[in-house]
Amino acid sequence: MNDDAMLQDAKLRELAHRLGAAAAERLDVERTAGAVVERLRTERRAEPRTWVQPAWLRIAAVAILLLGGGLVTRALVRQPTSGSALVIPLGEDLMDLTAEQLQEALGSLDQAPSEENLVDTGFEGLTAEELRAVLRTLEG
Amino acid sequence: MLPAEPVAAAPSDAALIAAWQGGDEQAAAELVRRHARGLARFLSAAGALEADLDDLVQDTFIRAFRSVGKFRGQCQFRTWLLTIGGNVLKDAARRAKRTKLVPLDEELRASGGDPHERAVAGEAEGRLQECLRRLPRLQREVFLLRAQQGLEYQEIAAALGTTPGAARVHYHHAVKRLKEHLR
Repeated sequence: MNDDAMLQDAKLRELAHRLGAAAAERLDVERTAGAVVERLRTERRAEPRTWVQPAWLRIAAVAILLLGGGLVTRALVRQPTSGSALVIPLGEDLMDLTAEQLQEALGSLDQAPSEENLVDTGFEGLTAEELRAVLRTLEG
Repeated sequence: MLPAEPVAAAPSDAALIAAWQGGDEQAAAELVRRHARGLARFLSAAGALEADLDDLVQDTFIRAFRSVGKFRGQCQFRTWLLTIGGNVLKDAARRAKRTKLVPLDEELRASGGDPHERAVAGEAEGRLQECLRRLPRLQREVFLLRAQQGLEYQEIAAALGTTPGAARVHYHHAVKRLKEHLR
């Protein structure tokens, strides 16, 4: 490196060293330190709430899942399965069924009655009580 | 004559960081007092407006204290702080999208000596700052860390997550381009 280049480098470093020096000198360091500490203090106060919130959210999410899961399970249990239910074709004379078949049908349906099932489902959706009522009507 | 009492050595940055992590607010304040001016000088040279300087310095320290657990002593705390300052400045510039230059008259007001010399010096600094703005960010930061803050390439490389050789190359590219612009 020649003298001119070295001089230029030195000049550049000197200039760079001076850059921003005046603005930095005018910075009120004590005030800045106070402001930083205050902001940190505020953040620390807010911290527990920040951490508790997700925990509560997680608990709520688990509760909702358990509740939802329970409701779904309950609904599935309440639904008569094809293996246990005796399918009675509409229009078929129930008088043709044997007493044993009728008893099997009644035995497989032991759930509580429901208004909705009466309205929008077929025989498969009916409760035991409702089926009994239907059977009683058909038996005369 | 009684022997002079030994002057208590100033606690190291590492000790102050540990004290802050243990809940000592004064340790945090001491770190700010120790490094705020150097950081302000770096930010100002990198293009921060003086009006924004206090906020940028505060934001840098807040960000540093928040993530101080990640600081593994790979470089000095000061160097680590300066690189965070670079990120804070970049984020602020992205938000503001405005030209960042220290007005020339402020530099002139702050300088002492002959008015003509002050004007020449101020003009040179203004031109250097303008040239710095045109450099890629990495070149600008490496140049400032080396030329303004006097850091070694090893230290710069550790802070920026690069190699000392790469830091040296960035510095030389920056110097070459600055000289071309300043000619």
